[in-house]
Amino acid sequence: MSDNSKRITIPIGPQHPALKEPGCFTITLEGEKVVNAVVGVGYNHRGLEKACESRTYIQDLYIIERVCGICSHTHSTAFCQGVEELVGVEISPRAKFIRVIMAELERLHSHLLWLGVAAHEIGFDTLFMYSWRDRELVLDMLAMLGGNRVNYGINTLGGVRRDITPEMKELIHKTLNIVEEQNKYYIDLALHETTLAARLSGIGKLSHEDAIKYGAVGPVARASMVKDDIRVSEPYAAYDQIPVKVVTDDHCDVFGRAVVRVLEIMESISMIRFALDNMPDGDLAVKFPRKVPAGEVFSRTEAPRGEDTHYIRGNGTDKPDRVRVRAASEANWHGMQHMLEGDYLADVPIIIAAIDPCYSCTDRAFIVKDLDHGDQRVWDWQSLKRYSVDWYKKRGFDASKIKLAERRI
Amino acid sequence: MSGEEKIVAQILERYPFLEGKITIQRRQRIIMPPLSREKFEDVFKYVVDEVGFHRFHLVIGVDDGEDLGFIYALSNEENIVLLLKQKAPKELPYIKSVCSVFPNALWHERELVDLFGAQVEDLPPGPTYPLPDGWPAGNYPMRKEWKVEYFDKETMTYNPPAEKTPETASDDKAKEAAK
Repeated sequence: MSDNSKRITIPIGPQHPALKEPGCFTITLEGEKVVNAVVGVGYNHRGLEKACESRTYIQDLYIIERVCGICSHTHSTAFCQGVEELVGVEISPRAKFIRVIMAELERLHSHLLWLGVAAHEIGFDTLFMYSWRDRELVLDMLAMLGGNRVNYGINTLGGVRRDITPEMKELIHKTLNIVEEQNKYYIDLALHETTLAARLSGIGKLSHEDAIKYGAVGPVARASMVKDDIRVSEPYAAYDQIPVKVVTDDHCDVFGRAVVRVLEIMESISMIRFALDNMPDGDLAVKFPRKVPAGEVFSRTEAPRGEDTHYIRGNGTDKPDRVRVRAASEANWHGMQHMLEGDYLADVPIIIAAIDPCYSCTDRAFIVKDLDHGDQRVWDWQSLKRYSVDWYKKRGFDASKIKLAERRI
Repeated sequence: MSGEEKIVAQILERYPFLEGKITIQRRQRIIMPPLSREKFEDVFKYVVDEVGFHRFHLVIGVDDGEDLGFIYALSNEENIVLLLKQKAPKELPYIKSVCSVFPNALWHERELVDLFGAQVEDLPPGPTYPLPDGWPAGNYPMRKEWKVEYFDKETMTYNPPAEKTPETASDDKAKEAAK
């Protein structure tokens, strides 16, 4: 059936129930099979790089942290270490360890988020709810350390802004025990659950050669046996002092990408534990000059989704001449057309989701407008949670009777 | 001799005119000087085919005043990053696409077209990226002379203040004197 008259082209997105971010995929079908796909992105372009040129380095740090709601820490780390390299400042060993702990906690929450999204895309909503429930534990830890669920504001030029106390350390260890226990279940599920394997195997194929050719990064590349991880190939922060095992898989499909991510969760847990137990004493931040010398730097970090690169050019003033950010998702889009071609239309959402494209997370404070009473209040996370529980209780569903509370610390 | 020094020596053996112009910034970083299009294309082919820089990360556009700069970040098996630079006059910013060698350069080169006004030869057809539909032609927001305060998002028009001619300047002086 290769007759062109039997082909149909349909646009999916930029707003579509199967996709949680604004991307437009023009899919040409022959029956149910995808024969061509054109990816259209750019709907979220916010001009952040231009904005950085007219602001000081410290102001830019907060813009850069908002490049991505999920990988916020890794972006600010890439930016900070780039500017620190331009100035020639060495941050304290303790600050390096804190950066690593935050980065690995961020990887945990990102991978658990992805697991939920992927499960939802294939109709496995039980797994979606399980993994997002466990992700809450990680977000609680991040909120404890940084004061926020996303955009933690931990990094500053010359170090970090907050310390990790012995009490926090103990609490993190306890919480990690629960996350680890749950993740063993996900690994068992990913490796042995036949429905999951049947649904994910053989779709979104990207061979080892194509992964290199299209410049894939992170779990997408590692699931095609590309042993590439900036934490090992160009260790930054304290990664040169912490054992890092690069997880790879040879399935070269969506199933392989799932396996890599669930196994990486275990590695991240080990790294956080090691970093907490071996964290040296010392200052959090060193004095940092307002003006940055002229020069250029190319900084790299390993985000949960893969390599982030930041190019920063200074001109001797307190504002950069040029900042160029390439997030991991930007690198992984290139192979998307190739991954989609030859697969079925029904697999398109999960193939797209499998590269873990970025979208924003919600903030912890909401402005809730009560339309009936014209009342407007700012609610914090706890009050919103209580409101939700009461709302369901009035409708005959008492969430407090579910034995989830004992899992909490 | 370190891996970086060996690479620089190999490049210098082929291109002696680069003597003293290549910088080993630190471990895993080599920075090349800006090259004109003709020289760039030859050096680019050499470092990819002969020196082993098989991985392309991105191309970065920069505004250097009279010229536009294009910085290609490549890396090799040892994870050494080479920043290879090309420059072109801002009035005639013609460069050649590297998509035939690195398909993952596509979005980055489209970005150079939209944001810097680069003319990229042999760029495969497709949607523009990243500016929205209806963006006014000839407006390249990442050029230094383009100021965000003169752009009206509602009408999608760019309205810089009128340049002062000798006559308008004398009018202004007369108004000031009257005050």
